[in-house]
Amino acid sequence: MTTAVAGHARTTDQRADETGTARRPRRSWAPYLFISPFYLLYVLFMLIPIAVSLWLSLTEWVGLGAPHWVGLRNYRNLFTDISFHRALGNTAVFVLVAVCVVVPLALLIAQALNARGLRARDLWRTAYFVPIVVSPILVALIFGLLFDRQFGLLNSILRALFGTGGVDWLGDPGLAKVSIALVMLWRWTGYLTVFFLAGLQNVPKELYEAAALDGAGRLRTFTTVTLPALKPVTAFVVVTSFIGAAQIFEEPYLLTGGGPAESTLSVTMFIYRAAFQRQQFGYAAAAAVVLFVLVFGLSQLFNRLLGIGRASA
Amino acid sequence: MFPAPPTRRTLLRGALGLGTAAALTACGAGTTTVRTSGDVTLSLWTHDPGYEAFFRKGIPEADRLTDFRYHLDVTRAGPADLVTKLLAQAVAGRGTPDTIGFEIGSFPRMLRGDIAPRLLHDLTPDIAGVPGLKDDLLPARLAPYSKDGGLYALDSDTPMVVYYYRDDLFSKWNLPTDTATWEEYAELGARVHQDHGASLCVVSTVGSDAGQVVQSFQMLLYQRGGAFFDADGELVLDSPEAEETLRFLCDGLRTGFVIDISDYYGAAMQTALKTNKVAGLPMAIWYKNYGLLPNVPEQKGRWRVRGLPRFTKGGGVTAALGGTGFGVVKDKANTEAAVDFLLNTWLTHEGQVRRFTETGYLPTRRSVYEDPALNATKDDFCGGQQLFRLYRSLLPDVPAFYQSPDQSILFDVLAGNLLRAYRGDVSPRQALKQTAADYRDQAGR
Repeated sequence: MTTAVAGHARTTDQRADETGTARRPRRSWAPYLFISPFYLLYVLFMLIPIAVSLWLSLTEWVGLGAPHWVGLRNYRNLFTDISFHRALGNTAVFVLVAVCVVVPLALLIAQALNARGLRARDLWRTAYFVPIVVSPILVALIFGLLFDRQFGLLNSILRALFGTGGVDWLGDPGLAKVSIALVMLWRWTGYLTVFFLAGLQNVPKELYEAAALDGAGRLRTFTTVTLPALKPVTAFVVVTSFIGAAQIFEEPYLLTGGGPAESTLSVTMFIYRAAFQRQQFGYAAAAAVVLFVLVFGLSQLFNRLLGIGRASA
Repeated sequence: MFPAPPTRRTLLRGALGLGTAAALTACGAGTTTVRTSGDVTLSLWTHDPGYEAFFRKGIPEADRLTDFRYHLDVTRAGPADLVTKLLAQAVAGRGTPDTIGFEIGSFPRMLRGDIAPRLLHDLTPDIAGVPGLKDDLLPARLAPYSKDGGLYALDSDTPMVVYYYRDDLFSKWNLPTDTATWEEYAELGARVHQDHGASLCVVSTVGSDAGQVVQSFQMLLYQRGGAFFDADGELVLDSPEAEETLRFLCDGLRTGFVIDISDYYGAAMQTALKTNKVAGLPMAIWYKNYGLLPNVPEQKGRWRVRGLPRFTKGGGVTAALGGTGFGVVKDKANTEAAVDFLLNTWLTHEGQVRRFTETGYLPTRRSVYEDPALNATKDDFCGGQQLFRLYRSLLPDVPAFYQSPDQSILFDVLAGNLLRAYRGDVSPRQALKQTAADYRDQAGR
């Protein structure tokens, strides 16, 4: 029933509002139900494991039976553990290679692949991308054969060209790092190239035409048009490369096992070794927490420096 | 006033809840009713198909000797993965095997804390229950799987280290095959390297496998009378014997008597064998089946085996390297059946004979070495040589071998320092001192 006041029809709800007995909108659980899988999985596979890791890092546990509470002892041990220091140093080297060598190289290759008039463009793109789809185990086997000191292909080529070979690619601590870096370069450059290629194809052609009209050369065009236009892609690639390299495991694990003399031991390998070869789960968890803090902190720093997530002015 | 009767929906919800609880309970705990006879399917985990074949063939004999009728459900994985998976399943409280083969290098993980006593059946009373068995088993092959007086696995082998050599090349180059000492051998080897570009000893330098790098040194160290750990699991590596052995290998690398190969089992070794760069090497008896036969089958009949030359300053003519211990998971429905199965396939006289003839692994019972059939066997790959007789003669020299929960730490640090010593970056003395220091820094954290 409605009452006509000054030409307006008042509804029952309006009347209820006026009397202070507003009928609340009916609560529906459906929206929460629809979004709940994400939160459930997030809690189950992210928050709980992180919390358990934190707790585990304060205990000593061999993998069976009850963990013993040791407080901060694992962290104190980590700070004096030469192996962990080596692992941090090695990982830093791999991160530097990823960010300072692999990323720029991927950008240059993308620029080359994006050039007009390039023949067999698709073939080149595929060739650069293939390494990422090859099984890491296969990569390790093949590079193991290539890098062999006595019978490897690389040394055979060196012998044939310069009459000298016998370079201990995987046995010398310094060269072992270089070998791992080479494999990283081979494996990841093409993958990152794809991101830059996508970015390059979105740069407005008008910018290049304007630069050409202004008489800018190739280098000038690259630095004043291409690089600024690629900033968001570059930021993404740098941060993901950093995070990926900080967690490097497959290459050193399969190719050198972290050796010789721990010269290629990464932090993730250190964690794996502590947990699954030495049954020191608490210690491994502490190292994982340190790695998490470092990666998270530095990622945030990169994000701020590169302006990721900020609206452009 | 009586409460209102539950609605149909409430009843359905209740039934669903009860059903879920029952299902979760069923998932959480298996039956622990011990099986004492009848049909039993044993879950067996192993890394080697040879063991699977051995146990399958042993089923009729085990059926005859026990109250069980056995079936096997076999899972195969890498040696280290088996231990990882076993521990993960143990934490989960289900899905553990009934019996599992521990490659000797992976077993020290079970020695950490109270893992072995908590998870594995102590076989000591079962061994004691068979008249004469305890005294017949070689103590050297029980020690690696023992902890605090408990025995948690039974070894597959007495893996003696012997010297393999190419008989055809030795004849062609007029080399003596009965050189008595390693020192004489080193001089001979230097000349062979100079004249023919071949080496008579090998060390592995594969960076990705610390165990393999260590084993080259380990074999000669134990032969010389040294050791990594004593019976209490304490490190005893930093010894005059270890320094002497390492210096011997380093000097050999300089003269060419020793060649460094990146991988004992892979392409590098295969190439070296095929191109006659390696004319001889010390290695465990299983290397014939797992290293030489697969890599150089065309060299069948050209190889021979002898005991190791002695070190002038002491030691024996053999060492031990490798092995796989089979253990039984405790407190399971099939535990008794699994113990009976092991005892009646792995440890019977017939089983031990069969193990040598089918897999090439030497018996772990002293009495089986007197078996006439085994002593009469001839080896085609080694030109018809009666290898078992040779192995029997070496048996008294097999040294004891003790393991420590921290063994993998030792292997990691030792491998790096061995490589540095081989390259000449540090002296053998420095390498061993540094190893001991690094080990003490990391062990027990």
